[in-house]
This record gives sequence, structure tokens and C-alpha cells, in this order.
Amino acid sequence: MRTIGYERPETLDAAIAAYSGSGSGSRYIAGGTTLYDLMKLGVETPTHLIDITAIANLDRIETEGDVTRFGTMALMSDVAETPAIRTEYPVLSESLLKAASQQLRNMATVGGNLLQRTRCPYFRAGNGVYPCNKRQPGSGCAALGGLDRSQAVLGASGSCNAVSPGDWPVALLALDARVEIIGIDGQRTLPLDGLYRLPAERPEADHNLNPGDIIIGITVPKTAAGRASTYHKIRDRESFAFALASAAVAMEIEGAVVRDVRIALGGVATLPWRARQAESVIVGRTLTRELAVEAGRAAFQDARPGRHNRFKIDLGVQVVADALMIAAGRNVR
Amino acid sequence: MSRQPFPDLARIDAFDKVQGKTKYSSDVPFPDLLHAMTVPATIGKGMVTSIDVEHALAVPGVVRVLTPHDTPPPPPGPQGSPPPPPMLVHAIAYRGQPVALVVAETLEAAIEGAEAVRVSYALEPFAVRFEDADAGREDTESPTFGDADAAFATATTRIEAIYTTTANHHNPMELLSTTAVWAGGRLTIYEGTQGSNGLKNTVAQLLQIDRSMVDVISPQIGGGFGQRGEVPRHTAVVAQAARLLRRPVKLVMPRNQIFHNSRFRPHVQHAIKLGADANGKMISAHYDCLQQNSRRGRYRSDWYHAGPCKVYGIENYRGTSGDLRLDTHGPAQMRAPYEHPSAFAFESAVDELAFALGRDPVEFRLAHDTKIDASTGKRLTSRHLNECLTRGAEQFGWTGRPVQPGTLKAADGTMAGWGVGAGVYQAAMHPAIATLRVSANGVTRYASAGHEMGQGMRTAIAQVLIAGLRIDPARLTILIGDTTVAPQHSTAGSWGTASSVPVAVAAAEKMTAALAELLDGRKVAGNMHEQLARLRRPFIEIEVSMVAPGQGPEHLERLKTGGMAIAGLHGTYPDFTALSYIAHFVEVHVEPHTRRIRVPRVVSVADCGRVISPRTARSQVQGGVVWALGAALREISETDPRYGGWLNADIAEYHVSVNADIGKIDVSFIDEPDFDANSAGVKGIGEIAMVGAAAALANGVFHATGRRLRTLPIRVEHLI
Repeated sequence: MRTIGYERPETLDAAIAAYSGSGSGSRYIAGGTTLYDLMKLGVETPTHLIDITAIANLDRIETEGDVTRFGTMALMSDVAETPAIRTEYPVLSESLLKAASQQLRNMATVGGNLLQRTRCPYFRAGNGVYPCNKRQPGSGCAALGGLDRSQAVLGASGSCNAVSPGDWPVALLALDARVEIIGIDGQRTLPLDGLYRLPAERPEADHNLNPGDIIIGITVPKTAAGRASTYHKIRDRESFAFALASAAVAMEIEGAVVRDVRIALGGVATLPWRARQAESVIVGRTLTRELAVEAGRAAFQDARPGRHNRFKIDLGVQVVADALMIAAGRNVR
Repeated sequence: MSRQPFPDLARIDAFDKVQGKTKYSSDVPFPDLLHAMTVPATIGKGMVTSIDVEHALAVPGVVRVLTPHDTPPPPPGPQGSPPPPPMLVHAIAYRGQPVALVVAETLEAAIEGAEAVRVSYALEPFAVRFEDADAGREDTESPTFGDADAAFATATTRIEAIYTTTANHHNPMELLSTTAVWAGGRLTIYEGTQGSNGLKNTVAQLLQIDRSMVDVISPQIGGGFGQRGEVPRHTAVVAQAARLLRRPVKLVMPRNQIFHNSRFRPHVQHAIKLGADANGKMISAHYDCLQQNSRRGRYRSDWYHAGPCKVYGIENYRGTSGDLRLDTHGPAQMRAPYEHPSAFAFESAVDELAFALGRDPVEFRLAHDTKIDASTGKRLTSRHLNECLTRGAEQFGWTGRPVQPGTLKAADGTMAGWGVGAGVYQAAMHPAIATLRVSANGVTRYASAGHEMGQGMRTAIAQVLIAGLRIDPARLTILIGDTTVAPQHSTAGSWGTASSVPVAVAAAEKMTAALAELLDGRKVAGNMHEQLARLRRPFIEIEVSMVAPGQGPEHLERLKTGGMAIAGLHGTYPDFTALSYIAHFVEVHVEPHTRRIRVPRVVSVADCGRVISPRTARSQVQGGVVWALGAALREISETDPRYGGWLNADIAEYHVSVNADIGKIDVSFIDEPDFDANSAGVKGIGEIAMVGAAAALANGVFHATGRRLRTLPIRVEHLI
């Protein structure tokens, strides 16, 4: 049996010191819902686990004031069910409730969720059979010429078209969330869209974190748009499935005119995808179903389908349009 | 037997199951147990040139690595018998085929050892997709009667279409497992199998030992559905490991490997032509089915005709069928093996013809009632398909359904559609020998053929024993799936209850008579146990045997030697044809923009003869409908032609339905006995439950949208 080191520090400083002391084979572990899965698949082969669940005060959900802050260890299920989150940001609550299963949501943390890895079947099954640039840099990408029904139509490169699988990051992106990070060189914050990387170069790296970094919190400003928001997700079954296409929409309507709108896409892109072109179609205009579809088309104007995933563009357009109409409906109330 | 409906008895193992107490084969503990793990081939086809086991043996805890050198080649079996599965061999026929077996003191060491085995191969070209088949079609003679060509030429309304059902995989909760124990010169295998008898024979043959030295115990199966019907390749390998190591060895195969090594439903292309005369009567059917098979696969292509050639009494039928051979593990039975795919195709075609004629699809089917099996000219016993259709239509509220598609629309633009599909399935039976012992100490022990795979066989047997005997139900033990207690026969093809219940009824009657003889007219108070106690008799034990209609003592002999002894294959008996029937009604909703499909409700009415266990029968139909909807909307096994094997080989990526997908499923039964089939009047429910439901869904999609989708699964991309 392979032995794996394990420690459970009680402070962030101790966790980072543990990482510095144990080297590149270390991984932080919180809910474990992704890491253990990847270890079973042979994607992750850590030699040392640093369990951060004993560190105090990392799981707070702070809803007072103009900015909401989620401690990294807050559980998906707890955030989803927090009343203030349901009213201030329906999009966040819905994105969590439409993700995974209740059992996983009871274990998984909102910080760890940001780093969930792709569900590309070639990536997951890759060991020894399928080339995958994420698993073995430079080995090639089986998905590009293969069964790409679930692959990305936005943000793909010649070396990887794996979909970013998350729902929660998509909802956060629509709300201009920021991520608080602590690392060997101290603390910093990043806008969420600065966290993720396109697979153009180094597709094995999903994000811009440095070795030893820990995401410690997520902050989201409170806005009128956030209160009239939704997460709309279409998948192959009604629960426990990743998005074929999803849209997070937050919208503020003043009079009959859309004053503020944010649109982010899931299930269709190599990272959580902000659709700013679609937003600009709508701002300052009166939302109709036709305009919503026009915005949906704008969201996918740069989409590049593969062999089996062209439908994601047609579907994505409609998902964006439906999400816009749902969010608009929430303005009326 | 009384004609009162049987009571709605809970499963006799329900409390154990919800408390996790039920013992499955891999739960049987042994103090010195070794754990095994298979090493799957990583190539699509070729030859193993070398296996480097050095690193595996270096893993602490690894005891031995079995390679092809450690398993004997299969000896020739009896004349005409199918070849047994090979054990470990150098020729790789498909990706995922086990190359070696690592045996270790712990499961972790076995897994690590398996990952450390280094295999070198000589690659060979392979083909895994239907469209890439590298050899021509192999035809199999198929049911043909009347003159379908001539009748088609005179038909005034015709439809012609090609339907496709894609490959699907079994994913029951319980993983495949084998535990082999050598003790006292005997081999005992614990395995959740539907055929403990066949497993006993095959393992004995492969290990070249006498079958009398092998016992097989299949205590419970966490889902049979045909997956546990054949002897898996690994079983004898695990037994060989136990023999070589002189310790018990257990293998639980991971799900990804199960995808590659267990039975699956093949990809099938169904080409159908139907013709109706001026009166709207179906007078001609052409049905060609072309299925994928493995290179040496024995899964027959002609059996897709079993239902379509009988269901509507069409007098002119031309059946053709064939195989395209590919480099996969062999496809084989998976619930409603031939009938689910063929009914999807045929019932879709019937729907298309009814629509072309401007007829209501229920009324159109009702007009094709028949008393004769057109394929054989034999009398159909107890055919209640029209009652299923009529009662189902009433319960569903079918009246007033517009014939034109796309007319049922909700306020939000959601398109609704109502579809119907029907099905037939054989009412088959095998012989059985049962022993029943009622004891003065309150215990009753019953042993017979049969396998409990969650379908509720023990509950069904308990129903008739409790109804027929004055015994303590709480202390009734029912022993099945165990070659040490009674001769076993495979349990499949919906023949379980029809084979196990009549013999149990007869045992109860014989016991009652034996006790009456003992009492000799004396009035003794109490139940049977108390009566025996008062008579100072420790117990009474009786044995009964029963054969199916048309069978004789030779079939009992075949049972005793573990062979197959089925009567009523495809419903055909010497003097009649006996079939189960079902009608499914499905409401489909299609969202206006995203075209997401939802199924809020289903009504299913089954004629399975006498219903012995209402609760488990209803559960069977609900499960069958759930599976049919999954196959219709979600399930597909995908293979990348460049690599072979199955890509989405886990249940995260292979989507089976979840609770949130399933709406109301309203199940009811005709509950009319068929005493031609057997003395209990049972016809069988397990397979018929699923037949025709996928077509009802597809027909509902057509009714909702006007789009006729002829390939399963039907997903968002096909409607957007």
C-alpha cells in the first residue's frame, strides 16, 4: 500500500508551513469530494495530505453589510439553504442546489468547488488508454477528434476542449465575485475570472494559483441585479448530472428598461464564461423574448462546435434566453 | 388454488434490506480471505507478448499474480454444448479483457499490484462501431410465414422506416463478484448468479474436476436483469487462484471493468415495412434486424422476431436478421433482451401506420386482437392485451386525445403528447424439485430451484406457503439459489415465478395431506407446528417435483444435472402459445425552447396471469418502466473507434434515470390465471414490465412535437 502523509493543522500559517515543508506532492484537502475521486482515477497521486478542516472560522457565511463573504469551508448545502442567500442571490442558491447530489453537497465546500476538475471522459478514463494533455502534458487530446458531445464550444484550443464543469463558479462570475487567497507570499485577492486559465498553453493548469495557495474566502457584492437572478441548467437528467448548457443571469430592470445585466455560461466553455457581448445587447433596452434570443446568439457568436456538440450552441442560446426571461420575471415581484 | 387476489404482503426481506443486513455473496466472511483484482487489457485487440509481474509481486501483501500460464485451456465440453468462457489467455479480443489476476492479503494491495503489472502487446486492427464493421453481415434464418411481399404489394397504406437502438449496459447496484473457497476437497463458490447450476457445471469443466465437487451459492443478487445469467470469465479464474493458493479468494470487479466484461444490449438496426389493406387491417410485415455481435458471440439475432411475429396476428410476415461482428465482449441478455428493442421499433412502426391511416393508436391496436399465434397457428391462451389497452386508456384518460400531433399545448408553450405502446413476452417454465419440512419446534424449511435477485422470488414462494400451510411465517426459511439444497435451474426469461410457485403450491398441498394422514381424523388443536408437537413428531418432510406442459421425466433428469430445461420458449408449447401482455401509456412534456423532455406520468396495465405477490409485481413493472424511460431518453454506451472499449464506463457518465426524472407510474394488473401454462396460473412479469414502454415514450414525443424520432436515446439535441 502506498503511504500518504497526513496532517491536520489548526491555523492557516501552520497549513502553509506544512505545504512549504512537504513539497510538491502535497495537496490540501477539505470536503474531499473531488480529491479522493481524482486519486481513485489516478489523476492525483499526492504523497502528503494537509487537512484544513480543523482550522477555525473558515466556514463562516457573513451576510451583513454590502458584501457577502463565504468562508472557503462553508458547505455547499449550508450556503444553498441560507435564507439571506436565497433572497439576495437566488442564482447562487440555485447553482448549488442544481449541482451534484445532496450527499455531496453536505460534504463539499464552496472554496474547493472552485477547483473542481473537468468531467471530460477522456481525462477521467485516460490512464494508459487515452492521450490527454491535462493528464500528461504533451500527450495529445483524444477528445478533439473523438466523442465530443460534452466538450466545450467556447474557449477551446488545439490542445484541449475540456469543459469547466462547475455551476457555482458560473453563478459567482455573473456576480463579479472575488476570491481571497493566502499563500507562501502572503494574502491577495483576485477577481474570479482571474482565477481560471484558458487551455491555450499549459492545458494541465486549470487555474492561476501558486503552489501552496489556499482559497480562504469568496466575496460577492450585493446588488439589485443579484436579487433578481437565476441559474438555469439543462442536463441529461434532472439531478446529479453536469450541465449540457447553463446560464447564470442577474438583472436589474428600471421602468421598462434593463439597467444592469450579467450573464455567465456553464457547460459550454473551457472555463466559467462571462458573456459580455450578450450583456451589451440588452442593457438600456426593453427585454422581450426576441431580444433575449438575440442576446443568447451574441453569447455564442464566437462558439466553435466540434463533431457532436453543435447542439450546445442552439441549446445554449435558448438557455440564456430562458434564464433572461426568468430573471426579468423576478424583477416584477 | 383460491381465486381471491393475494394480499399485498411486504417483501419478506424488506426490513433486512433497509437495515443493510441482507448478505450478498461478497458479504460472506472468511478469516483467511485473500483479495483479487483483475488487470484489464489496455488495447483494442491483439496478443499479449509479455507480462512483467515483478513490480506487482514487489508490492507488500501481493501473494501471487495469475497469468495465462496459470489457467488451463478449456477442455472440449459435451457434444453440441456451447464453449465455456476462456479464462486468462494471450489473445486479447477487446479492450478491458482481463489479462492477469493479482491476489493479495488486502484489497488495497491487490489494486496496487494490479496497477503495477506491466503488459506488452502486439497490436492488431479492430472495429468496435457498427459502421466500421470489417466483415459482411451474417444472416440467420428468421420467422417467415404467409407471403409478405405479395400482401405488401396489395396494401393500400404502407409505412417503411429504420429504427435504431444503441448499445446499453447493465448497471445494477451490486458489482460482479466471486468468492471461491476450497475446503475438504470441495470447491464452494459464492456468487450472485442467476444460474448457480450452470456456474457449477462450467467451473467444473474449466477446472477439469467433477461437478459433484463444486457447490454454488447465490444467496441474494443486487439486480439480475440478465447480467448474472452467464458465467463470467473471471469466476473460474478466481476459483483457480483459490485452488493454487489453498485459501479463499474474493474478487469484486470495479464498475469500469464490468462495463467491459459483462453482458450488454447490442446496437441494433431495425428496418420495418408494414402494410394495411383498405379496411385498415395490417396484412403484411417485413422486419429486418441487424445487430452487433462479438467475433464469437452466440447472442442470436433472430429472436427479435419473437414478439412482433405474434402480437397482432399479422398473417404475412417476413423476418430477416443478421449479425455484424465487432471487437467487444459478447452482447447478451439485458432486461427484455430482444423484446425491449424490437418493441421500440415495431410499436413505433405500428404507431406510424395508425397515424398514416388517421386512426387512434389504441383503437388501431384493439382492432388487431387475435386468438391465434400467427407464426405457428397455435391457440393463444389467456390473451388479455385488449383489456390492458382498454383499462389503461380509461385510467390514463385517453378519450378525446387529438390524433394530430402538436395540438396539446400548455399555457407556457410546453408541448404535451400522449403515446401508447404494447408488448408481449413468453410465458415459460422449467421443471422443479422442492423439499418442504415443517417441524414441531416452529420452524419451516423450504428448498427448491430459483434465484432471488431482488425481484421478490422468496416473497412469492412465501405467499403460497403461508396461504397453503398453517405455519409460523416468521420462522419460514426459503432456500433457493443454492446447489447444495435442491437442483437449480437458471432464473431468467420471466420464468421464475411460473417455475417456483406451482411446485411450492404442490408442496403445501402434499404437506397438508401428509399431516392429515398422520392425524388420521383426530382433532388436534393448534397450527401445524403445534399439532406435530402434540403428536410427538419432530417434523414431516415431503418432496415434490413438477414439470412444465409437454415435459417428461427426461426434463427432471436434465434439471438434476444442471442443464437447461425450458418449456414455452417464445411462448411455444406443444398445444398452445402462452404469452404475457402489457400496455403502457406515457405523457410526455417537451419544453418550448430548450426542448427538455419530461415524463410526468405513465399508466401501465399488465396481463401476467395470476399475480402471486402484488407488491413485488408492481415494483417489477415500475422498475421496468423506469428502465425503459432511461433507455429511451438517456442511456447509451459510447465507444471511440480509435481506442475500442467503452468510453463512458462509469455511472457518472453513463446516465441512468434518477428519482427526479420519474413522475407518477400507475401500475395495475388484469390478474386472470392462465391454467394452460401452469397450475398456479402464472405467466411472468419481470421482462414484460419493460416491453413497449420506450415506444410509448417515442410515440408520445411524436404526438407532442410532430417529430418522429427513430433512434434511442432521444435527447435534447434531437429536438432542438
